[in-house]
Parts: sequence; C-alpha cells; structure tokens
Amino acid sequence: MPTVEISLVLAAAVFCVGACGVLLRRDPLVMFICIEMMFNAANLAFVALSDRLKSVQGQTLVFLVIAVAAAEVAVGLSIIIAIFRTEKDVNVDHLSELKG
Amino acid sequence: MGLNDVLFVVLAFSALASAVAVVMTRNTVHAALHFVGHLLCLAGIYSLLHAPLLGVLQVMVYAGAVMVLFLFAVMILDMGEQEHQAVAASKKQLAGAVLVALLLAAGLAALVQHGFGGALAPAGDPAVDLTNDNIAAVARVLFRDYALAFEAVGLLLLTAVVAVMVMAKRKLES
Repeated sequence: MPTVEISLVLAAAVFCVGACGVLLRRDPLVMFICIEMMFNAANLAFVALSDRLKSVQGQTLVFLVIAVAAAEVAVGLSIIIAIFRTEKDVNVDHLSELKG
Repeated sequence: MGLNDVLFVVLAFSALASAVAVVMTRNTVHAALHFVGHLLCLAGIYSLLHAPLLGVLQVMVYAGAVMVLFLFAVMILDMGEQEHQAVAASKKQLAGAVLVALLLAAGLAALVQHGFGGALAPAGDPAVDLTNDNIAAVARVLFRDYALAFEAVGLLLLTAVVAVMVMAKRKLES
C-alpha cells in the first residue's frame, strides 16, 4: 500500500483546507489554528518523505519546526490578546490602523 | 490489506474530516477541539510512518501545550459572542477562497499525475527500519548535523518567552 503517496496527497489537501480557512474565517484565533494546520501539513510531508528515503533528517527538521511553531503560537496569541485589550473587538476586518 | 493499512486509511480520512470541520464550524471552542482531533490523527499517522518519537512529541507539545494555550486565549477573549459572524464575510472573500482551492487542487492533480516530479524516485534502503532506535537516530542527527539550528531554536524560544512577558506586563493605551 502506497502510504507515502497517500500521506503527501493528504498533506497537500490539509494545506489547502488551512489556506482556505485563513481566507474565509474572520476570527483571528481560528485563522491562527488554520496557520498551525498548514505547519502540520508541511510536517506530514517531511515525515512521509523521511519514511520513503529511510533517513531521519526529515524527522529532525520536524522537531525543529514544532519548536518554532510553539514560539510562534506564544507570540501570536499574546499579540491577539494585546489587540483585544485595546480594541475590545477581535474581527480582523475592523483592524485597519496599519493601513498606510 | 493489513491492520496497519486499515488504521492508516481511517486516520487519514479522519484527519482530513477534522481539518474541514475546523474551518466549517462556527464555534471557536469547537474549532479548537476539532483541531486537537486532527493533531491526534496526525500523531497516529506519524507513528505508522516510522516516526514514533514525533508522534509522542505531537501529542505532548501540540495537542497538549499549544492547544491548552489556545483554549486559554479563547477563554480570555470570550469568543462566545462572536459565534454568529464566523464564516465568509463577503462574496469577494468566498470567491478568493474558491479560487485558491481550485488552483491548489489543480497543482496537486498535476503533481500526482507526474509522479511527484521524480522526487520519490530514489527510495531508500528497504532494509533500514526507522522505528528501530528512533530516538537515538534523531538525536544523533539533531546534535551533530543540526546542532547550530538546535541552539538557535532554543534562543528563539527564550526570546519568545521574554517577549510575551514584556507584552503582558506593559500598560496598553488605546
């Protein structure tokens, strides 16, 4: 059974779903979850190809990606909460202060 | 088809289904819980793809720590009031999302049709079993070939922690 090919197609499909989620949803937390979903799709591709090539290099890179994603979540959530503390509103369409 | 294959297909389908559920559901808490399910399915798939260490890390770091942080943020932001305006604000956004989905699907179809551009051609030595001594093998590569990257990631995490503390302490003026 071609598990590696199925995993790569699954990774691409999940990445599509995540990208559409970022475009469709207006709630910053759900958009953030969708970004994490895209990270995970990339990780799945790494693990699948690492299995195919019989090398742990891909798994090592996924380890580093997970650590970077954890740092990103901490900073991102604190930014969202800081915005909420000043704006009392978390719809991304209403946040246009940085418009030039 | 062996037991592992059946398990793999079931996990792959539920991973995709829970990913779609994250985007479709209108309640933020439900979206977060669907995402936990998605992560657990991926952890199972990692284990089936001979990466048991990453499967465990996925459950501990992602499904555990990161999602608890998300649920705390949902609690602080009190998203319950925002439920009704979740999906698809305007027709323009919907059209953009459909366009992106179509483009990505077309690219994916082309990729599958051309056998992943030959990237899969050099299959590794089939005699090697990655599950065997997985942690030691990953650690060997991590601390030898990627030692600098590992240190950099440690520094990045420290910086992130300090940044979050500064942001939480500061008095914000609107």
